[in-house]
Amino acid sequence: MSRLRRYLRDNAVPLALLSPAVLVILLVVLLPLLFSLYTSFSNYRLIRPESLWDVVWFRNYVRVLGDGDFWAALGRTVLFLTLVLNLEMLLGLGLALMVNRLTFGQRTMRTIMMFPMMFSPILVGFQFKYMFNDTIGVVNNALQSLGLTSHAIPFLVDRWLAFASIAIAEIWMSTSIFAILILAGLFAMPRDPVEAARVDGCTNWQVFRHITLPFLMPFIYIAMTIRSLDVARAYDIVDVMTGGGPAGRTELLWTLIARTAYDDSRMGQANAMAYVSILLSIFFTWYFFRKLMAARKHLGVF
Amino acid sequence: MAMTRTSLAAALAASTLLAAPLQAQDYGTFDGYTLRVKLIGGAQYEPLYTLIPEWEKATGAKVEILSRKSHFELDREMKQDIAAGNTGYCVFSSHTNFAPQYNAMNQPLNDLIPAEVVAEFSPLVIQHATVDGQLMSLPRHSDVSNMYYVKSLYEDADNKAKFKERFGYDLTPPETWDQATDQAIFFANPPDRYGTHFAGKDEAITGRFYEMLVADGGKLLNDDFTAAFNGPEGVMALNWFVNLYKEKAVPAGTTNYVWDDLGLGFAAGAVAYDLDWAGWAAFFNGKDSKIAGDVGVALAPKGAGGKRTGWSGSHSFSITQTCDNKEAAASLIMFLTSHDAQMMEARSGLLPTRTKVWDDVLAEFEAKGDTFMVEVFKVFGESMRDHAFTPPLIPEWGEISNALWPQLQAAILGDKTAEEALNEAAEEVNLIMSDAGYN
Repeated sequence: MSRLRRYLRDNAVPLALLSPAVLVILLVVLLPLLFSLYTSFSNYRLIRPESLWDVVWFRNYVRVLGDGDFWAALGRTVLFLTLVLNLEMLLGLGLALMVNRLTFGQRTMRTIMMFPMMFSPILVGFQFKYMFNDTIGVVNNALQSLGLTSHAIPFLVDRWLAFASIAIAEIWMSTSIFAILILAGLFAMPRDPVEAARVDGCTNWQVFRHITLPFLMPFIYIAMTIRSLDVARAYDIVDVMTGGGPAGRTELLWTLIARTAYDDSRMGQANAMAYVSILLSIFFTWYFFRKLMAARKHLGVF
Repeated sequence: MAMTRTSLAAALAASTLLAAPLQAQDYGTFDGYTLRVKLIGGAQYEPLYTLIPEWEKATGAKVEILSRKSHFELDREMKQDIAAGNTGYCVFSSHTNFAPQYNAMNQPLNDLIPAEVVAEFSPLVIQHATVDGQLMSLPRHSDVSNMYYVKSLYEDADNKAKFKERFGYDLTPPETWDQATDQAIFFANPPDRYGTHFAGKDEAITGRFYEMLVADGGKLLNDDFTAAFNGPEGVMALNWFVNLYKEKAVPAGTTNYVWDDLGLGFAAGAVAYDLDWAGWAAFFNGKDSKIAGDVGVALAPKGAGGKRTGWSGSHSFSITQTCDNKEAAASLIMFLTSHDAQMMEARSGLLPTRTKVWDDVLAEFEAKGDTFMVEVFKVFGESMRDHAFTPPLIPEWGEISNALWPQLQAAILGDKTAEEALNEAAEEVNLIMSDAGYN
């Protein structure tokens, strides 16, 4: 007890300065989280406020975990996350390497590269929805005009084409995040090890594989962590392009959760789903942070 | 200088619009009061709000618009307001089909709107706005779908001969949904033209299925609120969509379409006929339409039960229970649904809810020589009078819809049979109704 008192006395000023921030975080983050955790154990329906006190214990979780549609959406979300993150990383890496080699107009290219990030996901969703439309879409019209197909390809209906179309929209919008972060890594990279390797007769591939890439890995994992949180809660683009359909073929966790919460007003059940999805996000964040630490260790940062 | 008949009618219309609402009825005095409202936004809804300054001038009150969102966004906002107890405003845009969801915040209007005012509205529309004997909202304008078709396709002699030869009866706008199927298949020539298309997701496909179910003699729920749609009539109704999809008489992407996709597709001349809302009529015949001057209108066909499809509802205005000046709120919603306000909306093709406005706007279109809009209002008038029906007026309609539409899509796309899809949806609907305390 006296140790605690001594600690408080010695650190009174920093604790006092930090306390408003801690209080705000408790109010803004922790309270809503606790409230939503409570509602996940209730039959809470938005349109029946009195249902907030109707505790159903684990019923929502039992239903969610026993629901094939939920597991399908979860599996699809993990697949979407894996595919989109890896493709964005590869394309972002390629873009960054190319822009890094530019000796003229590099700043302009960097600005142009960031354009897709400036659009709201809803606008991107509408843009790709109309591009991939089966009758008036520019992609179908182009394919038909070029004689590559004589019929309308149902891009937003076919199970895998619809999945791919949404992934393309997501990748188009966010690849530049990877490119910018990796480019920052390339700018920060010391030239000495590269030049030493070249003197030793290493090929371009060997320099990239053994020097450039390891140096870039922390930057890649930071981008992966940020984007994994974004993609795991992908909603706007999917909602606009397909609404999770047709027949649940593009249903991701957040389209399912949003529909359950707001359209069905079943906030209790939606929160149970959201808690399961939060675990998913925590897992990906933990995984990428572990990878980030390993990469930093490999570079001798620790 | 002699005025032409058309310009005289227009001048009269304009003068009555500006002057009459406030002279025709006393809207009360609410000096210095600010009425807070949440209104539906969007191109077809906004012109009405240009009249609000007239009400402000007459009553001395001010209107503060807190929200102006699309219907679905507003619906979400209403639900969140109920949940948060955040109903510190007075008037909100509602919909007769959605109104039961807002029971917790809705102020019954029976004692606020004089009976003689209610009597001026179409009885069926008032019936649709009444939940458990209480008038929950005052209808602003209604909607129901009827058949638009490309006239030249139906009048073409070659088409007529080929159709008769193939199907054994004359090619005319369909009177039954079986005939509609034949014609959709006959006219389909993908990817250049399809026979028809349908809204294939969200409440849009649920509503289409629901009205087909009723037309085929079925019903959505039993008297004990368990699912009734998974019987033979439901299978027949769903198979109408399934067959057209299988036959490629509709675009492959139709399961992703909602109203804009349908309206724009028909106006682009991409389909032969289109079951659609009245509000599209002027656009289909307007300068941005490839089929302008070539659009026919017919009543929605009949199903196997001998009933016409007629899924309907009205955009409306409601008052919150917590409103601090319900008289002012009632005054505003009576003003916004007054004869002249409805005339203004009806001129753009929106279906009025007042009986007299139907007659007056028809007379106005006739005076202008606008034969197309006369035909539109005659067809839609008959439909609203004789064939319109709403979904069950219960708060769970949205949940039922969300349980149904993914299953309907699964059947249409061939992932499940119609029976499997409807049985799975029925299971989910029974759970929803049970959770909500119905059985």
